[in-house]
Parts: sequence; C-alpha cells; structure tokens
Amino acid sequence: MELLIQQLVSGVATGGIYACMALSIVMIYQAIHHLNFAQGEMAMFSTFIAWQLLQWGLPYWIVIPLTVAISFSGGIAIERIVIGPLGEAAVLSHAVVFIGLYAVINSLASFIWDFTTRPFPSPFGAGSQFGNLISNQQIGMIAVTLLVLALLYAFFRYTRVGLAMRAAAENPTSARLAGIRVGLMAALGWGMAAAVGSIAGVLIAPIVFLEPNMMLSILLYGFAGAVLGGLSNPAGAVAGGFAVGVIENLAGTYVPVIGSELKLPIALLLIVIVLVFRPTGLFGRTIVQRV
Amino acid sequence: MTALLNVTKLSASYGDFRVLHGIDLTVERGGVTALLGANGAGKTTTLRALCGMIKHSGDVVFDGVDIARCATEDIARLGIAHVPEGRGTFIALTVEENLRCGAMTRKGRASIDDDIERAYHWFPRLKERCGQQAGTLSGGEQQMLAVARALMLRPKLMLLDEPSFGLAPIIVSELFSILRKVNEQEGVGMLIVEQNAALALELARQAFLIETGRILISGSVTEIRDNESIRAAYLGY
Amino acid sequence: MTIETSIAEQPPTTTTQRAAVAQLQRRPNARQLAIAVVCLGSTIAAPFLVSNFLIFQMTMVLVYTIAILGLNILTGINGQLSLGHGAFYAAGAYTAAILMDRWGIGYFWTLPAAALVCFVVGFLFGLPALRLEGVYLALATFALAVVTPQLFKLSPFENWTAGVTGITLAKPDAPFGLPLDQDQWLYLFTLAMTIAAYVCAHNLIARRGGRALMAIRDNPIAAQSMGVNTALYKSLAFGISALYTGVAGALGAIVLQFVAPDSFTFSLSIALLVGLVVGGVGWLPGALFGGAFVLFVPNLAESVSKGLSGAVYGLVLITLMYVMPSGVGGLLRATRAFASKRYD
Repeated sequence: MELLIQQLVSGVATGGIYACMALSIVMIYQAIHHLNFAQGEMAMFSTFIAWQLLQWGLPYWIVIPLTVAISFSGGIAIERIVIGPLGEAAVLSHAVVFIGLYAVINSLASFIWDFTTRPFPSPFGAGSQFGNLISNQQIGMIAVTLLVLALLYAFFRYTRVGLAMRAAAENPTSARLAGIRVGLMAALGWGMAAAVGSIAGVLIAPIVFLEPNMMLSILLYGFAGAVLGGLSNPAGAVAGGFAVGVIENLAGTYVPVIGSELKLPIALLLIVIVLVFRPTGLFGRTIVQRV
Repeated sequence: MTALLNVTKLSASYGDFRVLHGIDLTVERGGVTALLGANGAGKTTTLRALCGMIKHSGDVVFDGVDIARCATEDIARLGIAHVPEGRGTFIALTVEENLRCGAMTRKGRASIDDDIERAYHWFPRLKERCGQQAGTLSGGEQQMLAVARALMLRPKLMLLDEPSFGLAPIIVSELFSILRKVNEQEGVGMLIVEQNAALALELARQAFLIETGRILISGSVTEIRDNESIRAAYLGY
Repeated sequence: MTIETSIAEQPPTTTTQRAAVAQLQRRPNARQLAIAVVCLGSTIAAPFLVSNFLIFQMTMVLVYTIAILGLNILTGINGQLSLGHGAFYAAGAYTAAILMDRWGIGYFWTLPAAALVCFVVGFLFGLPALRLEGVYLALATFALAVVTPQLFKLSPFENWTAGVTGITLAKPDAPFGLPLDQDQWLYLFTLAMTIAAYVCAHNLIARRGGRALMAIRDNPIAAQSMGVNTALYKSLAFGISALYTGVAGALGAIVLQFVAPDSFTFSLSIALLVGLVVGGVGWLPGALFGGAFVLFVPNLAESVSKGLSGAVYGLVLITLMYVMPSGVGGLLRATRAFASKRYD
C-alpha cells in the first residue's frame, strides 16, 4: 500500500512536469499548428542557463525569474528569426526545421557545457514529509506546477492579451481583421511556451540530472500527454500529462517485464491504443471536414 | 469634403490569375455603397484587396490616409471593419469574448463594456447567448455576431460581404433594418457586397456593378434602378 | 496533378486532360534517352574508378534511396505521415541477418523474405493506423520507432537476435567467378536493386492504384465517395512502403555486415524523414538526393567543425527549408517553370 501511494505521488510529481511540457507543446501547436520537436531542447538549454547562473553564485530566487525571462525572450527570438519567416510552408518542411533547431540547440549546449552529467541542486532541499512518503522536491514540483497552470489559466481566461492570443490561434484571418497582430501573438506564444518549458526543466533537473539529452524522454512523455489529452484542448493536455506520469510509474513498478528500459515504449504503446479508440485524444474535438 | 474611401485603379490577382482589372470605387462619409455582380465577378476579391488580405496594386485612400500598402491589422486599426465571407466567427470563444475581440484595438475598459451593452441592444438575441460558445450559434446568429463584432471596433467604414448569405428571409430583413439604423444613427459608412441586388439597393445610395473584374456601370441608386439592362439582369422585374 | 487525382477512376475526356495524361505517359525523347544512358553508364563505371571506401558509401546511399522511396510512397504519394520507418528498416535488417546467421541462407534469398515480412508487418500496422491522422499518426509511428530497438534487446528473442551484442555477417563474394571485389559487387548488386525498386514504384504510381493513393492524399472523403476503397489502399500503401524500406534494411545489413538494436534508434527514422523532405515529398527521383543527404551531410558537418557538427547540420537543414521548402524536386520544378516562362 505504501509503495502504491509512493508511486502515485511520484507519478503525479513527474506528471506535473509532463503536463508543463504538454502545455508548452499545445501552446505552440495552437499558435502555428505544428508540433515543436525542439521544445525539449529549448527547456534543456534554459536549465543549463539556470545552472550556470547558480554556478556564478546567484541565489535561487534571482536565478529562477532571470531564467524565465531569458527563456521568454529566447522563445520570442526563435519565433521571429526562424519560424515566423517560414510562413505557410508545408507540415514536413516545418518538421525538418524543428529537427534542425533541435540539432542546433543540442549541439550548442554540449559545446558550451560538454556532455558531463551534472547534479542540479534542488530548490526545495533534500528532506521529505509524512514519514518519507513524499520528498520536498516532489511537493515543490507539484506546487509549482499547479501554480504555473493556474497563472496560465487566469492569463488566457481573464486578460485582453490572453484573449487576443486565443483569437489569433483559432482564426488568424479573422483576428487580423479585428486588428490583432497575429505574428506578435505567435511570438508571445513561443516566448511563454519557452518560459513554461524552462520551469519544467529546472523542476525535473534535480531528478534526471543535467546533461544535453536530459529532456528527450521528457519531451516524448510531454508529446504523449498532449496527444492523449487532445492537442486542441490545453486543459486536456495538462490532464494527459499527469495521466502519463502516473501510468509510467505504475507500469514500471508493477508490470514485471517492463523495468526502466521499457517504461517509455510501454507508455507510448498505451497511448497509441487509446488513440486507436479515440483518434483525437481523450478530450479532443473532432473537426468535421467538408469536401 | 472628400469621400471616406477612394479607390482608383485597384487590381488584384490570385497567383498568376488576375481577378481585378483596375477598379474605381468610392464610399461617401456616412454613405452606403453597394457593389453588385454575379458569382465570380470579383466582389469578395475587392473587399479582400481593400483590407490588404491579398496582393494588389492601385490607390486606396481611406479618410485621407493611403492604405494601399498597409498590413491588414493596421487597416483595421484605422477604423475599417470587415465582416468577411463565412462570418469569421471565433467558434471556440464565447459570444461575449467574440465581441471583446472586436474591440481589441481600443483602450478603456468602461467604454468597451458600454459598447457590449450597445451591441446587445442592437442584437438582443446575442445577449441571451452571451456565455455560449459562438460555434454553437445558428447561421443567422453568427451573422449578427459578425456585424456586432465589427461594430465593436467603432469603425468609420464597414465592409460587408454578403450579409444575407444563407439566412432566412425574416432574419435578413431584421439584419438589414439594424444595418440601416446603424448607418443613420451612428453615421458609419458601409460598402456592401450582395448578390441580392434588390436588398442592397434599398439600403444603398450609390451602386457599382462589377463584371469579370471591371466596373461596368456606376451611379446613384436611382440611376441604377432605372437602367433597363440592370433591371433585367440583376433585379428581375 | 489535380486532374489526375480528381478523376481517379474515369477515362480522360477533355483535351486538357488528354494532354495531361499524354504528358504523364509520353515516351522519352532522344535527348532524355542519351542523358539516361550517360547516367547509367557512369554509375556502373563508378566502382572501378574510386576507392573502396567511397564505393561503400555510394552503396549505402543507394540503400537509403530505396528506404526513402518506400517512405515516399506512404508519405508523399498517399499522404500518411510516418516518423517510424526506421522500424521497418530494422525489421528487414534483422530478417536478413537472422536468416543468414542462423540458417545459413544465401544473402540473395533474404531479400524476398525481408520484403514479405515487412509487407505483412507494415500492412498489419497500417490497419490500426487507419484510424489516425496527421500528428496522431505521427505519434503512433514515432512510438513504433522508439519501441523497435528495445524489442530487439528483449531476452526472449535473444536466441535469434543475440541481444545487445548484435549479429556479425560475412561479406558476400561476387558470383559466377566475376572479376569483381566484394565492394564492387555489392555496389552493382544494390544498384540493380535500386533501379528495379524505382521502376516498380514509378509504374505503381502511374497506374490506377497510384491515382487512387493520390486521391486519398488530396481528399480522402471525396476519394471514398468516388468508390476508392480507402481503408484497403491506405493499408496497402503502408505494406508496400514497409516492403521497400525492409528490403533497404536487408541490403543495409548485408553491406554493413552487422546489425545491433542501437543501429536502429528513432534517429534513423528521423534521418529517413529528413531525406524524404530534402529530396522532395512526392517526387520519386528525390529519394536519391535524400539518400545522399542522409549519408554525406552529417559527415560533412563534422568536417566543418567537430565540436559543433550538430549545429552545422541543423543550420544546413533550416537553410535548406528556406531556400527550397519543397526539396530538390520543388527546386527543379521552379527552375523549369522559370525557364519555360522565359522562352515563351
């Protein structure tokens, strides 16, 4: 029983990270209708920046906002310089550009900080609560995730810019006619996605350790969560992220053959099975197409 | 006093295919101009070109400003509200959020809230549905929402693309009486594209007839009405 | 193209349609024949002029060409996105390796076996994939790519796959006492296979079945309502596509003389996709350019800067997509259109 609770808690904690990644993916997907394969690498780079700032002796409470701000501007820069000019190019051309972006960021990080796996200090300390049931790091992960999600919800629901971003994502032509600067909104979306990704990276780094390929499997789980929940539905993507975290942990613990090597494939397979029965994700909308 | 909108030699093409061949067009201040023509004549293309949505050449002067090379969003910011073909509803947003999107270029929360009330006053049906997702509205309601959203911009000029399209006759007459009131009481200029020529001529003071990308005849509504050939071809009496 | 695809099941009626079909089916003229002969001649002569390592590289380019041809049939012609073709490549490679290593079957006979195995696997995978579209299909195929290396590592299969260690194979000699060394023979053998694969693919898409595949890509609902059996054709496309990539995998195993799970990670699938896009989606000859890109550009990037080779590679990809978003095929089309406009 205690093992089950422990696994559930740790599933929820990592699930929160997947939820953040899923949400970043959905934000960009909504803005430009393409999946950003480089999302994980952007988060990894942000985490390295945070680590570097910590190395220079800055305290945590300065490092976090600074990292988020740098990531936000970086996301905007990537959209303005690389993605925006691509315009209406085909899906596969976009996919290749994302692959290129992935290679560039990954290579830059390993060039600057090399491939050594580094420990990343937890911002929440090493202790644990409720008789070792849940570590401080896990509590922190869950709390920060929920806070980020709540802030984002409020932003999109109650602010004018949030509304403009939603409008621009849903119907760019109509948004332009209403005077909304659609390109700027897409850039903002990229900035925010990068910022959320940087938080996810800093939160998960104490667990997976810091190295240039740290975000690969996390991005995959994030994709899985986003697709599971439905790419058209941010709330669904968040739920999907949490679900993937729990499934991953329980499957790794209780299904004997699986072990850590097969955790990712099994989670992905489960999701494919779900997709076969619900082709647009658990909470996705079916778009009716006219001939 | 110059006209509100002055278009000279407007040409536009889709790729290599030229659709408009030098169109001249005017809308007076507070006036209503009808742009008539058959399917494929270039009516919708004209409106799109005016808003910078497609590649075009020629002069477009709005309210003394040359807008021929402006981006769509800047044209909207100058006070041209386009009610596009297909209504351009934000289907996932609520009715009220759709209206707020229409006012995105404006400042001042209080005046926007006032204008939402004003929109509900024009279209009481929208008020009943204010919290509903706009995609669930009927076609007529979506058309009303599109007009209401355009009004939220506080435009000097409205471009209306087939507002009667696909609507029941009773809803059409309701919509047009509201458009008339908006024009008369608030002095909003309108350029209205219609296949239903009789309907448009009731509202308009000036009319242009377009055929395969060229203006065939232009003049006041009475002149157009008295023209035998137009009567036979477009009005049917 | 719209004409071809929209009337998949009817004979052409109007003159423009007849012209379009005539252009598609026309016989090559003398100049084109001459170009083809020169190209073929030089590709056959090549292995006698260059170093063995370069021959090996050229052979691998051809192997990737066949794999990308397969991906093109699925993604380019039929419009189904696959991020997991590395899995079929791996299946073909392992089929060949196991047959040769465990049962001592001749390398030539492993090719039809790999073709059959991969066709069945692809067809079966295509059945559930019928329900998925766009990014959802991309994720499902991607899952396949991620699972594949893990599957070949699983202990129950270790008797055949040898687990993580992989299988080492012997290099085949030229048959009938031909005066060729092993690399030269493998190159010519692969070249013959590539030409055969290309001709088959070309014939496939020039016919009724190919038009049906394209109709499904362009408008699945309209295709279905015109009587195209969408489900069957989509699964068949998956099967045929997997067959091509599987044969490529088998050839790759023979050429490299080695298979191991970690040769077939998802980056192989990504590389094939990149090759497809760089060559030109839906344009069959593009596969050759794609194959060359997959093999040479990463090495080239490494020679530019060792530490930043990934960045160089990524920048090349991004720049390519700006300069020619529709790949080499699109670039050629644009050049031709530009030239013909100037002549008119």
